[in-house]
Amino acid sequence: MKEMQRDRISRRQFIKTTSAACAALLMTGTLPLPHHGASAATGKDGKGADVIEIKNIKEVLRKHFGDRKIEMAHVKLKVPIIAENGAVVPVTVTSDLPMEKDSYVKRIYIFVDGNFNPYIASAELSPANGKASLSIRIKMRQTSNVRAVAEMNDGRLYGDIKSVKVTIGGCGG
Amino acid sequence: MPGKIGTIKIRIPRVVKKGDVIPVKALIIHPMETGLRKDKNTGERIPAHYINEVTVFYGDTLVTRFDWSFAVSANPLITFHLKVDKAAPLRIIWKDNRGGVYEKTVQIKPD
Repeated sequence: MKEMQRDRISRRQFIKTTSAACAALLMTGTLPLPHHGASAATGKDGKGADVIEIKNIKEVLRKHFGDRKIEMAHVKLKVPIIAENGAVVPVTVTSDLPMEKDSYVKRIYIFVDGNFNPYIASAELSPANGKASLSIRIKMRQTSNVRAVAEMNDGRLYGDIKSVKVTIGGCGG
Repeated sequence: MPGKIGTIKIRIPRVVKKGDVIPVKALIIHPMETGLRKDKNTGERIPAHYINEVTVFYGDTLVTRFDWSFAVSANPLITFHLKVDKAAPLRIIWKDNRGGVYEKTVQIKPD
């Protein structure tokens, strides 16, 4: 009887300590990050900026597209629903937009709302591509939305948005 | 991932016909270091080292130009499309923020 009780207590303690450790891991894993980003200095990125600020997705979109409306059509974004490794998230952007000489997709942008710098990559295309589509693997810091925007040569914007759950970290997030 | 920095693989379909729109896959071995990570032993920040520009030439024409931030994954793999209208070399050039330039050319020979 006494032995059984001891066993029970030790198991309870085990769960208690592991859950505490888990919580501590989560805290250290997520909380100090924004601070790092705010004061982080990177090398030259070719644009003169050497300090990374946490940028708001709305500001970034406004900076790139001004007040133009992004129509949620013609562009399809393919992403995993759950990404086990945030360091490698495959992203595919496809569209049924024309790639003719006088009407083509000039540029495709990829944004991630939850990253320090939501701007991930862009590709300037030309009619010689024949098809406005693109695959790339990107890094995601946390669960958030991924956006793809296609800009036509006449300035029209089309986009798509998808949510990706990122489960990197010890406790399965 | 085997290979050293700057190792490139470009894959195009084996049989290409004039007028086809073909997928082009291009992989380069590169750390894509963000500049945010710290060395686990010394605690020092690992300096940023990432590709910020990729250009694709088909013959003499610039077909596609990629503009990347450091949030592109290590060993970047890209897939894009190309409309085949001539026999010409396809040249892809990667440039990183430390002045590294890596390039590779494949021949496109439509039947």
